Amino acid sequence: MRLRFPMLIAAAVVVAVALVAAGCGSGDKKGAAGDGGAKSQVLKMAWGAEPPSLDPGLATDTTSSNVLLNIMDPLVRLGDDLQPVAALAESWDVDGKVVTFHLRDDGRWTNGDPVTAQDFEYSWKRTLDPKLAADYAYQLYGIVGAEAYNNAKPAQAAKLRDKVAVKALDDRTLRVTLTSAQPWFVQQMAHHSFLAVHKPTVEKHGTKWTEPRNIVTNGAFKLAGWKHDASITLVKNADWRNADDVALDRVEGRIIVDGTTRVQAFEAGEVDALDGGGLPPADMARLKQMPEYEKYPALGTYYYGFNLKNIPDVNQRRAMAFAIDRQSIIDNVAQADQIPATGMVPQGMPGFDVIKQDFLPTSADLDKAKEFMAKAEDPKRKITLFHNDAPGHKEVAVAVQAMWKDIGIDVTIKAQEWAQYLEVLGPPPSDAVYVYRLGWIGDYVDPMNFLELWTSKSGNNNTRFASPAYDRLIAQARDTADDHDRYELYRQAEAMLTGPQGEMPISPIYWYTYTNLERESVKDTFNINLLDQFDLSKVVIKEV
Amino acid sequence: MAAYIIRRVVWTVPVVLLVIFMTFTLMKQIEGNPFRKTERAVPAAVQANLERKFNLNKPWYVQYAQYVKGVATGDLGPSLVLRDRTVNDIVEEQFPRSIELGLLAFGWAVLLGVPAGVLAAMRPNSRFDYGSMLFSNVGFALPNFLVATLLIYFVSVKWGMLPTSGWTTWQHKILPSFTLGLVPMAYFARLVRGTMLETLQQDYVRTAKAKGLRRRRVLTVHVLRNSLIPVVTAAAPLLGYIITGSFIVENIFAVPGIGRYYVTAVSARDYSVVMGLTVLLSIIVIAANLVVDILYGILDPRTREART
Repeated sequence: MRLRFPMLIAAAVVVAVALVAAGCGSGDKKGAAGDGGAKSQVLKMAWGAEPPSLDPGLATDTTSSNVLLNIMDPLVRLGDDLQPVAALAESWDVDGKVVTFHLRDDGRWTNGDPVTAQDFEYSWKRTLDPKLAADYAYQLYGIVGAEAYNNAKPAQAAKLRDKVAVKALDDRTLRVTLTSAQPWFVQQMAHHSFLAVHKPTVEKHGTKWTEPRNIVTNGAFKLAGWKHDASITLVKNADWRNADDVALDRVEGRIIVDGTTRVQAFEAGEVDALDGGGLPPADMARLKQMPEYEKYPALGTYYYGFNLKNIPDVNQRRAMAFAIDRQSIIDNVAQADQIPATGMVPQGMPGFDVIKQDFLPTSADLDKAKEFMAKAEDPKRKITLFHNDAPGHKEVAVAVQAMWKDIGIDVTIKAQEWAQYLEVLGPPPSDAVYVYRLGWIGDYVDPMNFLELWTSKSGNNNTRFASPAYDRLIAQARDTADDHDRYELYRQAEAMLTGPQGEMPISPIYWYTYTNLERESVKDTFNINLLDQFDLSKVVIKEV
Repeated sequence: MAAYIIRRVVWTVPVVLLVIFMTFTLMKQIEGNPFRKTERAVPAAVQANLERKFNLNKPWYVQYAQYVKGVATGDLGPSLVLRDRTVNDIVEEQFPRSIELGLLAFGWAVLLGVPAGVLAAMRPNSRFDYGSMLFSNVGFALPNFLVATLLIYFVSVKWGMLPTSGWTTWQHKILPSFTLGLVPMAYFARLVRGTMLETLQQDYVRTAKAKGLRRRRVLTVHVLRNSLIPVVTAAAPLLGYIITGSFIVENIFAVPGIGRYYVTAVSARDYSVVMGLTVLLSIIVIAANLVVDILYGILDPRTREART
């Protein structure tokens, strides 16, 4: 008798647990593990974020960009050497500031309509429309009339729209007139901001046109499903111009924001590849040992910027730049096989060999640092270093704090939440800031994208470095079509920043890498390029 | 009673207005630009277009009035960051998942926490009592993110018994709901044990035993029923709290619910999402409290009389 009541309760608990488990909703019966063997061309992958928008005009982030570039066909793609490769445009002519694209005749929207030059004219003007309020409208500012239209008051908008110098001469010819030579413009077509949208669909569905039930695309894959914050499913577009060369039938993507969970989903065999969105810094040492670990060079620079108002002496800035042990930070702190950065323009950028300075050391050069420090007039010995509170930055800041202690500088570290941090940085930066950390990831393949940051009017120049000579160099480069001549101008510009006579408004720390986990069945064919783009039409799942 | 309920419902209107006003004011106070998501500077023209589009160029009282009008007509406005979606879309699509997660977590809490408390009270100071109270303490003390990480590591990665994350099949739902249910479970276990021990000391229980009732009948009819009253009253606000979503649990288990939006929307300065979710959550909390008050009235006639 004494035993029976607890036994009853225990039995009830067992039943209850079973009920809770069973009550956990329905859903399809399919288990988590992969099945069907390697021959079935279904790629399971993890995306690192919910795409904020799949509208090419409104997307600004890497995830949206990578989904878009796999469901839409750009005019031009980037080859392995970052040179433009024909995609929807079969050829193009560049005549000074006028670029003419010739479209293929077999480009098709998924509803069967042909893809025309008019589609591009409509799409680009739509992105510039002040009423759409596209964040990335400025990607198109290199086109004559684009900035004026984007800046238009509602009353003048219609008139300025017609002055934007992008014109469909016929169904297959698109002529663009640029404000200056901008030799990188053709490569810029590989950016998602230059994709076309299907006008009838956009006009019919408004902001809901990107939902899978409405969307009309023209790329290698179709958007079959998009469960917000949960999954993105792509299926092969059998009618695509190059469909015969596409191996994958489906790409089943799950959206997993948390980095650790993403890695665990991979380790549990639920996904075969991640999207290169970064591995958790704390796990790097272990993940690097896995055979599935893969790294790719990136066009990106992680740097510390100096507020020239607070650290006015160039010799002190040089001393601080020399005291940083870049290699040690990479080996012991960042740990993602980054490359020590000795300049603003990253390795891998066309023209890098001409532009690079080789003045800053990859490991700390304390003797030189102390020499510079001795030459500094009234050096600031108590400074504040600001960073944003995303994972990994604090560790770098603490390492640098110790390195600068060696040259007699006492560093206080301040961490701030991202949005607030950007407000503090200005420009101009708050007077509390002596040194700040930021990174720059390239949008297009030309050193201009990195060097124009340091012009005096740039919204990204948080250092108060302002040099008319530097501004002139950049303006001149913008108009120099010849690569070698332009690279020479860039070399002079880079020298003004990080060269032996440079003002050293920044101290580059490392050039980024993209790190990823990829199952061996796809490791050969799943590749991320320097701009963080991957082309799923090239992925083949092979048997291992 | 009806007059009391009506009065309470009417009172929620000024409370919600106050919540909107305070959230609105606080959001305007923190620095930050919702349109600058990366380190890239936003050109002045782009910034102006965005402010015009989202009415941020209007004076604050106009923005406030427009917002209140929107809420009154059930329109929570567009998200400033997720450009293809409105706050209504986000709530409609993702709130049901948070409710489901919360209800399942609550299910774990009731079905495991209450029996654990009962058993512990029936054998005070036994090994079972110590065991379940130790479990309860641990359940309270361990933070969600640790429990979640350990569960995923062992159950999913090491033993391969359940999927790591996601919210599609019932297998996906076990770990997140259990993790979220752990704290309420521990809470229920302690609460039930305490009230039950107290009830066991009551005269009427002794009387029931003395008149020779069987032990099972004493426990179920006289002890358990009376011990559960405080649990019921504690349950409503707790339920309101857990169905509104958990940032940590939803984030770690990649549950596409609404809890994770709340925190990310604040850091992204997505004003309309923050406002919309705050209004929604405050209505739920107010409703939960209202339910508790009504339950009190039903369970305990003395409170009802005092209020009407």
